This record gives sequence, C-alpha cells and structure tokens, in this order.
Amino acid sequence: MFRLVSLEPGSASLRFCYAAVFWLLVPGVLGLILATFLYLPAVADSLPLAVKPYLSFGRLRPAHVNVAIFGWLSQVYFAAILFILPRLTRTPLYSERIAHANWWLWNLMVAGSLVSLPMGLTQGREYAEMIWPLDLLFVLNIVLLAVNIWGTVARRREPKIYVSIWNFMAATMVTVPIYAVGNKIWDPSGAYRGMNDNIVNYFYVHNLFNAWFTTAGVGLALYLLPKLSGKALYSHRLGLWGLWSVWTGQHHQLYSPAPDWLEYLTIVFSILAAVPTTAFMVNFFMTMRSRWHLAAEDVALRFLVTGAIFWGLTCVQGVSHSFRTFSMVVHFTNWVVGHSHLAFVASYSFWAFALIYLMVRELTGRAAYSRRLMEWHYWLTTLGMLIFMISMWVAGLIQGQNWSTYSMPFLQTVITMKPYFGARLLGGAMAGIGILCFAENVRRAARSRQPVTAPTNAWSGQ
Amino acid sequence: MKPNLVYLTGGSLISLLLGIIVTIIIPAQDPAGPSPSAQPYSEEESRGRDIYLREGCHYCHTQQVREPEAGRGMVHQRGDIGPESVPGDFYHQSPVFWGTLRQGMDLAHVASRPGIGDNAGWHELHFRNPRAVSPGTVMPSYDYLSAEEIQSLTAYILTLR
Repeated sequence: MFRLVSLEPGSASLRFCYAAVFWLLVPGVLGLILATFLYLPAVADSLPLAVKPYLSFGRLRPAHVNVAIFGWLSQVYFAAILFILPRLTRTPLYSERIAHANWWLWNLMVAGSLVSLPMGLTQGREYAEMIWPLDLLFVLNIVLLAVNIWGTVARRREPKIYVSIWNFMAATMVTVPIYAVGNKIWDPSGAYRGMNDNIVNYFYVHNLFNAWFTTAGVGLALYLLPKLSGKALYSHRLGLWGLWSVWTGQHHQLYSPAPDWLEYLTIVFSILAAVPTTAFMVNFFMTMRSRWHLAAEDVALRFLVTGAIFWGLTCVQGVSHSFRTFSMVVHFTNWVVGHSHLAFVASYSFWAFALIYLMVRELTGRAAYSRRLMEWHYWLTTLGMLIFMISMWVAGLIQGQNWSTYSMPFLQTVITMKPYFGARLLGGAMAGIGILCFAENVRRAARSRQPVTAPTNAWSGQ
Repeated sequence: MKPNLVYLTGGSLISLLLGIIVTIIIPAQDPAGPSPSAQPYSEEESRGRDIYLREGCHYCHTQQVREPEAGRGMVHQRGDIGPESVPGDFYHQSPVFWGTLRQGMDLAHVASRPGIGDNAGWHELHFRNPRAVSPGTVMPSYDYLSAEEIQSLTAYILTLR
C-alpha cells in the first residue's frame, strides 16, 4: 500500500528514483516538440487555438529546461545523496521522515513549474523562471536535504569522511544562498533593476551549475567510480581539489554592457577552473586504468565513463567560451544549445542513468533489468546525443561566421539552419527512444518479484 | 567540529561571500543614469513588456549589441543592428531581456530600422502571421493574442530604439 511517509530505510531514495524517471519523460517530449517547431514552424501554426498559447515555444522552452534540471536531474541527486549517505557513514539516515517530506515538497515544486510555466506565469530569468512560491519551496527543500546530510554526518560511525560527502555538504550549504540571491527570494517579482539584474542572473546561472550540479555531481561520480570499477579512488587529495568552484558567472555575457573589469576577472577565473576539472579527469583516468574492459560488460559503468569523457569536453568548451574572441563567434548561436545539452544530458544525465540502474537494483533487491534494453538505451542515447550536439556545434559555427561577414541578411542566416535543425530533431528522437527503453527497464525492475541472485554478475542482466 | 569541517564550512562561505561582493555588490555601485534613449514606460508599453515576458520572446531574441558588431552587424542592411548597448539603456527595466540566443534577430534597436522595425502595422501583421511577411522565419505565430494585446506588444517593441 502506498503511504504518505514510510520509515523503511531507503524508501525515500527509491521514491526519488521513480519520480526522476517519470519526470525525465516530460522534458524529453517537450524537447521533441520544440525541435519540431524550429524545423517545421507550420506544425506550430496549425495547432488549435485552444492549446496554442500553452504550447507556444517561448512558454515550453523554460518548462523543458526547468523540469529537466529540477524534475529529473536534481531528483536523481536527491535519491543518490540519500542512498549514498548511510552507506558511506555506516549510519542510518538522520531522518527518513524529512527525506519523505523532501520528496513531496520537491515534486510539488516540479509539478507547480510544469503547470505555471506553460500558463505564462514566469519570472523570465534564465533558470530562475519559477514563480515566487516555488522559489521558496526550492530553498526549503535544499535546507531539509542539508539537515539530513549534516545530521547523518554528525552521527556517523565511520570516522573518515569520504570525498563525496564533502561535496554533498559543500553543495547544499552554498546552493541555498546562491539560489536566494539569484532569485531575489525576498521580492515576489524576483528581478533586480537594469544591468544588475543580468549580472545577478548569470552569477546565479553559473553557480547553480557550479555548486549544485557540478559539486554534488562530481561527488556522485567519485562514489560510482570505485563502486563500479571495483578499484579504490586514485587520489583523495585530487578528489578534494575538484571541490573548489570559482566565480565566473559573467563569462556567459562577454562583450555585454556589464563593466569590462568584471568580464576580465571572470575570464581569469574561468581559465583557473581548468585546474580542478583537470584534477577530476586525472583522478578518473588513473582510477579506471586497467579496468576499461569492464565497461564493455557493465552498461552502468559505460554510462559513467562516457559521461566523464563528455564532462571533460564540457569543461574544455566552457573554458574556451570564456575567451572573448571565441565567444564572439559562438555566443547567441546554436552552439550554446549543443553545449548545454553536452553538460546536462551527455555528462550529468549519463551519470544519473548509471546511478538509477545501481540504486533501483540495490534498493528493491530485485534484478529484472533487460540487458538488451540497457544496450538499446546506451547506444540510442549516446549516438542520438552525438548527432544532436554535433549538428548544433556545426550550426553554431556557421551561424557565427555568417553573422560576422556583416553582409548576409539575418533572415538568410536563419534559413541556413534548416538542415541542422532537422539533424537535431533526428538525434533528439533517437535519444528519446533510448530514454523510453530506460524508463521501461526501470518500470520492469520495479514490478519484478525476482530477487537478485547473482550479485557478481548483476550487470549482465537476464 | 573538527578542523576539517571548520575549513570546509568557513572556506566555502568566505569564497561565496567574496564572490557576491566582487561580482555583484561592487558592480552595482556604478552610478550610471538612464541613457537618452531610455524613457520610462507608459502604461500600454508596460503591458506590452509583460506580454513579451509572458510569451518568452527573450528566449529567441537578444536585446544587446556587442562592441565588435556595433554599427556593422546586419539585420536587413549592413550596420542596422545599431550602436553598442550601454548600461544606461536598461535603466528602467526589471527584469532585463539581454537573452542568450538569436534564433531571431537582435531587438535592442529594432524600432530604429526604417520601413520595417519602426512600422507598427508591419509588427502587427508579423505577430499574427510571421511567414506572410518574412518567408523562411521560424518564429511562431501569435494569432492567439487579442487585438489589444498585439497593440500593447507593438507599443513596447517601438520603445526599442
């Protein structure tokens, strides 16, 4: 029977897993709709008037992003943090009740954003579109998660704090003030005035990414890596190096009206960001050394490895965008769409897939994954995203070059995008089918009554 | 608390605080006033601006001209992207619509483009049926907006000079 709150250990984590997989389907569908609209605008034109406003590109686009990063990815983070904490501290979770409250309140927030954004209720700032009551729910949720993390760590029976836990502690602690300042949560309008509004917005955008998705995400990867490769982390010191984030928000708006000194400062810090990211990559490759063959057998490990390689590319791109000359070519183009999907889908979501496969199996104690579906999931999603991203990068370079000739009418540069929008739709659809395989696999595991019998060979499936 | 925890907590918070001071509070001390083209919005323009926000126009249109492209960038003809954007242009705006992507053209100075951008009738037609006036555009049609809403939105667009 479904209860509002369960005190069974791991029950909240499992609910987060299921909810995350459910919400993942929403940005998938919305993304396909948006890609279709750009490729074939006549499809959008032909919608009935009754639904047209709610399916309008400018309203669905923030819904796509918000449900993807908060409904899907952040819920995997919640699930994984609640899953990993008791295991690494050898202590029961501080409060399963708080974890369940977290689940209800977080899903209320996600559902609220999915209803309000298509209705046009928005604060209109990147990643900060959610209206005021939902902003408050966000902050409350991260505070509740922090209570659980810090509470569990305080009662831990394992004296050593593994590097992942440091990352979770730091991530929750700084995400609260970053969200509060970035969304101006003391003001229902959520916006500052003039130039400062944009400066604060990109401080927030970059640091939500830095503090929450990267700091916590790297913590998750550093848990998965030894777990799935069966080898101890190469270096804990290098792991901690990766923890420190930098303040580089304004590099998202180079040559903008904001002060030049602020741009130069963020360019310097963006280049410095190569240090912790390189540390992570060195740690990753050295730990994987002599274990690469396992990725052929184990789809979860393969997702982790592929995600880490894409993550390295995300960081290389991120640093390169911070140079004004390169930014001048690719900024405002579809290159940026490719970059954001590289980070959120091909890196963090790939780690999230590995986590969900691992957690659902361990939390339900049932092995029902179909190996064949896992392979379809991996290959469709990986190849689909490659087609998606490469078409957007090529499109972006062409767009940037066309604009900088200063002699091509803007409309012509839009028409040039058509084949790339088509390729993106194809890649997105492939990744979407891959995600359906994933969801179906998790659904089967959830329904199965077949217990785990052969833990050593668990990943080879049936 | 153990020393490690003190370093972690203290280090993270000091780093965050410095970030807020240096990258938010200090830039906010700039006393730039409104630039000549920045006028307070009338009631109708303000309603139009709210529609621009509600419909998410800023996801496909930027409102900022960068220094290297200023006076050179081409929308309909060379240079009509307009002059470089300066902080004072945004004096009366909250939130600002600088944007990050140009699926459509930059709108910072759209109302200064003769014959098209400064033509209210062109905009009203374009909102209802973009492909009738700009063949090949990917902009959705806003034929679900009421006549008053289209009028307000147009009034707002004409403030972007």
